[in-house]
Amino acid sequence: METQQKDTAKIKEAIKRRKRVVYQPVVPDMQLGFVHHNVDCIGCRACEMACKDKNGLPPGPRFRRVQYVEGGTYPDVYAYKVNMSCNHCAQPACLPTCPTGAIWKHKENGVVDIDSTLCIGCRRCEAACPFGAPQFDPSDGLVKKCNLCIDELEAGRKPYCVAACMMRVLDVGPIDQIREGKFESKAIGPHDTTVRAIKNLANPNLTNPSIAFVPHSKAKVDI
Amino acid sequence: MHKERIRRVLSLCFIVLLWSPFSASNATEVTDYERARWDPIHFKPAIDNATDEQCLACHQEVLEPSVKPQSPAGVKATDALAWYQTLDVYSGDQETFHRRHLVTPLAKKLMNLKCNFCHQGNGPRDETPYPDTKGDGSYTLRKMVNPEETCLRCHGQFNYKIMTGLPGHWNDVREMMGNSCLSCHAIFRTERHQVNYLNADAIEAATKEKTADGKENSDICFGCHGGRAWYQLEFPYPRHAWKGQDPKVPDWAKDRPTESEERFRLPAKPVVEKVADKVVEKVADKPAAAAKADTAAKPAKSATDAKKASD
Repeated sequence: METQQKDTAKIKEAIKRRKRVVYQPVVPDMQLGFVHHNVDCIGCRACEMACKDKNGLPPGPRFRRVQYVEGGTYPDVYAYKVNMSCNHCAQPACLPTCPTGAIWKHKENGVVDIDSTLCIGCRRCEAACPFGAPQFDPSDGLVKKCNLCIDELEAGRKPYCVAACMMRVLDVGPIDQIREGKFESKAIGPHDTTVRAIKNLANPNLTNPSIAFVPHSKAKVDI
Repeated sequence: MHKERIRRVLSLCFIVLLWSPFSASNATEVTDYERARWDPIHFKPAIDNATDEQCLACHQEVLEPSVKPQSPAGVKATDALAWYQTLDVYSGDQETFHRRHLVTPLAKKLMNLKCNFCHQGNGPRDETPYPDTKGDGSYTLRKMVNPEETCLRCHGQFNYKIMTGLPGHWNDVREMMGNSCLSCHAIFRTERHQVNYLNADAIEAATKEKTADGKENSDICFGCHGGRAWYQLEFPYPRHAWKGQDPKVPDWAKDRPTESEERFRLPAKPVVEKVADKVVEKVADKPAAAAKADTAAKPAKSATDAKKASD
C-alpha cells in the first residue's frame, strides 16, 4: 500500500515536470481542412442541421455555425456568409490547455478530436480557441466539438456538413492542396483563388487554422 | 344596424384605452430574456462604462466554481494537473478560466481585470460583437473576444531569439540562468505593468519573493509570460522603453505601439510641481534678456506664478 502511494506521488511529480515544459504540436502526415465559398453560400444552415443531427446536440451548442455578415450604406451594400466549425488548427490552442488529455490531434489526418467522456467541464479549451470551436453543452456540463466526422472519414466518406451542403460551397480536403489551388472541388470555381484569412476572422497566425475561403470582395484582408 | 356597429367599435376602443397603461407598464417592468439580450449594455458605447456589478447581475454563474469532480469516464479532477497547477506560485484546485482571471487569490493579488477588459460587446444573433453597417465593427467572427487584443496582452510565445544573452527557450535554460528572470530584467525593465488592468506594485513585490529554500523563482514571471504559450504569436503589446534603451528600434519591434490604449492607461500623476520645476529649469537655462521677454509674453507661466500654483 505504501509503495503504491509512493508510486502515485512519483507519477504525479513526473507529470508535473513534463507538463510544465513540454508542448510539441503533432505534425500530421497530411492535414485535412475545410474550404468555404463566402459568396455562393446562401446561408440555408443545412450544414448546421446535419451536424446537430449527426452529433445529437441539444439546443444551444453548435459545432458548425453560419454567420451572416451584412453592411454598407445604400446603394453600396453587401452581404455574405462565413461558415466555420472547428478549423483543426496546425497548432491548436485548445489541445495543450486540456488538463485531462481529452483533446488530441490525429497523426494521419491532423483532425483535432475530443473524447468528452474525459472532460471535467473546466472550459479552458473554449476560452483558448480563437475561433469559438469547442462548445459547452449545458445539458451535461461537458465540452464537445467537431471531430470532422472522423468515423465518416475512416469509412471513406465526407463529413455530414459537406454532404448536406446543397450549394456545394463547403468541402474538405488536404489543406496544402486547397491553398495551392490543386484541390478539385465544386466549392472552388475555375477562376477562384482561396485565402487563409478574411475580415474579422481572428488572426490565423495565432494557431494556423486549417481552413481556406473563397472570399467576398468586402471580406478580403491583407494577411 | 349602423349605430350598433359604431357602438361596438367605440366600446372596443374604450377597452383598449383602459388596458393600455397596464400593458405599457408591464412592458417596461418585465425584462424578459430576449429584451435582456438586446440591452444597450451589450453594445458600444455603453459597454465601455459597464461595471462588473452590472455584468454579474445577469452573468453571475461565470464566477461559480463549475469544474466537475470527475469526468463521465471517471477521471478525477484531483488526479489531473492543469498547466497552472504545475507552477510553484499557484496553489489550489482546478478552477475555471473566469475565476482564475478574476477572483482566485493570485488573480486578485496581481491583476485588476474587469469584465469589459475582454468583452467589448457582442451581437446576440451570431454571438459576435455587432458590426455597425458602415464599418468593420471591429468584431471577431464566432468569438466573444479577440484573443489578440486580450490574451496576448500578457500571454504569448517566449521569443528567446530576440533576447540578448539567452541561449534557448526558458524551458531548456531555466536552470542555467539560475531560474531567475530578474538576473537580466533587473536592468532591462520596461514600464509594461503600468496599466490599469494590473497591480504593478504587487507584481514588483512578487518578483522579489523567493522559494522556501531561499532561491529565485521564475514562475512568477514565466507563469504569465511565455509559459502559457497556446498561441504562436509573440507579445504584440506596447513596447515601453526602459531607461537607457537604445533609441534605435530593432526590426522585430517595428510597428509595435509604444503606449497602451487610452482605456488601459493609469490616471496621470499630479504634474503641477514637475511643470513648475521644468519652467524653473527652462528659465534658468535661457539668457536673462530672452527669459525676460518670454516672461513678458506669458506672465502666467513665469516661474514665480508656476511655483505659486504648485504651492
